Amino acid sequence: MIGLKGTVNIIDNTGALVVECVNVLKNKSSHGHASIGDVFVCVVQKARPISLTSAGAPSSGSTLTSLKVKRGDVQRAVLVRSKQPVQRPDGRWIRFDDNAAVLVNKKNEMIGTRIGGVVSSDLRLKGWGKIVSLAPKAI
Amino acid sequence: MKVEIDTFSGYKIYPSKGRLFVRGDSKIFRFATSKNESLFLQRKNPRKIAWTQVFRRMHKKGITEEVAKKRSRKTVKHQRGIVGVGADLQSILAKRNQTDAARATARQAAIAKAKQDKKAKETAKTKPKAPARSGATAPKVSKQQAKGTTTGGGKAARY
Repeated sequence: MIGLKGTVNIIDNTGALVVECVNVLKNKSSHGHASIGDVFVCVVQKARPISLTSAGAPSSGSTLTSLKVKRGDVQRAVLVRSKQPVQRPDGRWIRFDDNAAVLVNKKNEMIGTRIGGVVSSDLRLKGWGKIVSLAPKAI
Repeated sequence: MKVEIDTFSGYKIYPSKGRLFVRGDSKIFRFATSKNESLFLQRKNPRKIAWTQVFRRMHKKGITEEVAKKRSRKTVKHQRGIVGVGADLQSILAKRNQTDAARATARQAAIAKAKQDKKAKETAKTKPKAPARSGATAPKVSKQQAKGTTTGGGKAARY
């Protein structure tokens, strides 16, 4: 349930760490809240420092710098974990310990190549199968 | 349909009841009610909360029906004889199972036999000794006799 000014952790390998929500893209209304599987526009508040020589783990389709975003970038993101409980079709309520998202481009494709952390299985129902498959675990 | 159990209290969670909480370290906790959830988040120890299953199991409450693991092991004793002469299992059992009367008669027989043996021994002792003694004196007498005749004759003649 992320709204304006809500801060969210980014759990992919784009280099962003914390992101602030600016607009929730849901049914053409600028207010409203993003739940799991919803896209929102955000500003990168904290990012990992970009260095020319990247000593990180090699990813499949990487450029020289594996960090793609820097502080102040405006990006889109998909919420993958929320502290607010979400109901499943079988009646379960599931809640995570934090709010987390993954950066996405305008075509709803992931910018990053890896996801580090648990992801909600609700994403599959909302059509984000790629994210679920990349995640180490989906609960 | 799977009935889960509450991670705090051990209660059963039927479908559509309760909550599932995923912690930052990806560990899953299931709560049947908000009571359990609240106590968990307050970081209470279920072992100290008297109505939880963990507490009851620890203090052994209410498990009189299922008395766990009361299999007593009994070692079976085997009868064995002593390795050696005359003391195998059969002879030991025979001796043990002798009646008192039988034992008494056996003892009498043994005593009688012992006496007989003793007598036989004594007679055996005396018989060889008697002929041995007579044989030993006879030559002595003959020597004396022999000596007497010779010296007696000579001396008498001188007078």
